[in-house]
Amino acid sequence: MKTDELIAMLARGAGPVPRAPAARRLLPAVVAGTALAAVASITVLGIVPASMLHGAALWAKLAYAALAAAAAGWGVARLARPGASDATAWRALAGVVAVMALAGALDAMAAPRGERVAGLLGHSWSTCPWSVLALSVPALALALWALRGLAPTRPLRAGFAAGVLAGAVGALGYALTCPEQSLGFVAIWYTLGIGLAGALGALVGPRALRW
Amino acid sequence: MRFFLAECAPACNHLAAADEMDPEVPQFEFEARLKAVWLHAQAGDEAAYHRALMLIATRLRAYFARRLRAWPDEVEDLVQETLLALHVHRATCDPNGPVSAWVHAIARHKLVDLWRRRGRREALHDPLDESLESTLADEQPARHDLRVLLATLPDAQRRAIELIKIDGLSVAEASARSGVSVSALKVQVHRGLRKLAALVRDRP
Repeated sequence: MKTDELIAMLARGAGPVPRAPAARRLLPAVVAGTALAAVASITVLGIVPASMLHGAALWAKLAYAALAAAAAGWGVARLARPGASDATAWRALAGVVAVMALAGALDAMAAPRGERVAGLLGHSWSTCPWSVLALSVPALALALWALRGLAPTRPLRAGFAAGVLAGAVGALGYALTCPEQSLGFVAIWYTLGIGLAGALGALVGPRALRW
Repeated sequence: MRFFLAECAPACNHLAAADEMDPEVPQFEFEARLKAVWLHAQAGDEAAYHRALMLIATRLRAYFARRLRAWPDEVEDLVQETLLALHVHRATCDPNGPVSAWVHAIARHKLVDLWRRRGRREALHDPLDESLESTLADEQPARHDLRVLLATLPDAQRRAIELIKIDGLSVAEASARSGVSVSALKVQVHRGLRKLAALVRDRP
């Protein structure tokens, strides 16, 4: 087939282009990934005590995870569009992490000197990042699947962004089971878990996102 | 030039002067010409889309020819592969951003992908002749035949593409003829073209 025949074929009956393809593919993936992370977290690890509802920690975790997911999701949507700049989305993500780090630092400073390290490590520092990573796996698979239907031309970055998005979704699920009270703990170990998921995404992305 | 004027008469009768096909036009001018038809194309104007693809194909041919001097035979295949990729991903073009940046990002992606695959497969093959530029200005025949690849698609997808994209039936007519619903036909065409794009990419 000659190229002009191909062009004629592609143009024939092409019809209008659907709007907002990134959002239409990514949003269902994120919603399903969040639901899976929440269900897995509550059924396997158990839900937090009701008293957490009255403290700041649970809401801080949920807000941090949701804002990080929003920023990373924005990045994924940008990276799904060839030629679009993703710089602003990364700045937004860095801003979210910076605000959490600041809140964590202030919280740790406010604690008595002798209790600072104990507060930052909590009871679960050694399992929290891994739990976040594990809970992020369904969301990562769904996000990569969504990306495969779009057009990521920078698969490493797109994989990393999808991993961070999935990590934030995993952190959202993990917040439902995590009894830790210190914001410093969240700033360190949640961020580490999200980062691990990002690394996993960057590892898988170049293989999963070929086209 | 010759093939262009001869073969696309019905779809691009609003084609302007022949110099528009000059591949050496600067980027901003390419963008201006493309943008003028692109928004209509995205809204469903078939003739505008045809014209946009012709502009893009010329641009791609020059772009790839300059970068594939070692493999001049690959140029037209890659033009076709990239056009298919652009088509199946055309919803990802940001209507507020420059179209040429979108085209360029996909073209570069396809070029790097080819280099990577060829580099692995033909690392020992040295280019024998570096002085082939002069032959690359015009369209060379593609080595693969899309019609052959089309025949390997699943029946439902192949049939939908034949009715709508080759015979030129409207989706409603194709639906009446085949007994398949309109929405299912649209899905089959899209899936079939995606599959075709993947097949072209995996060519030997």
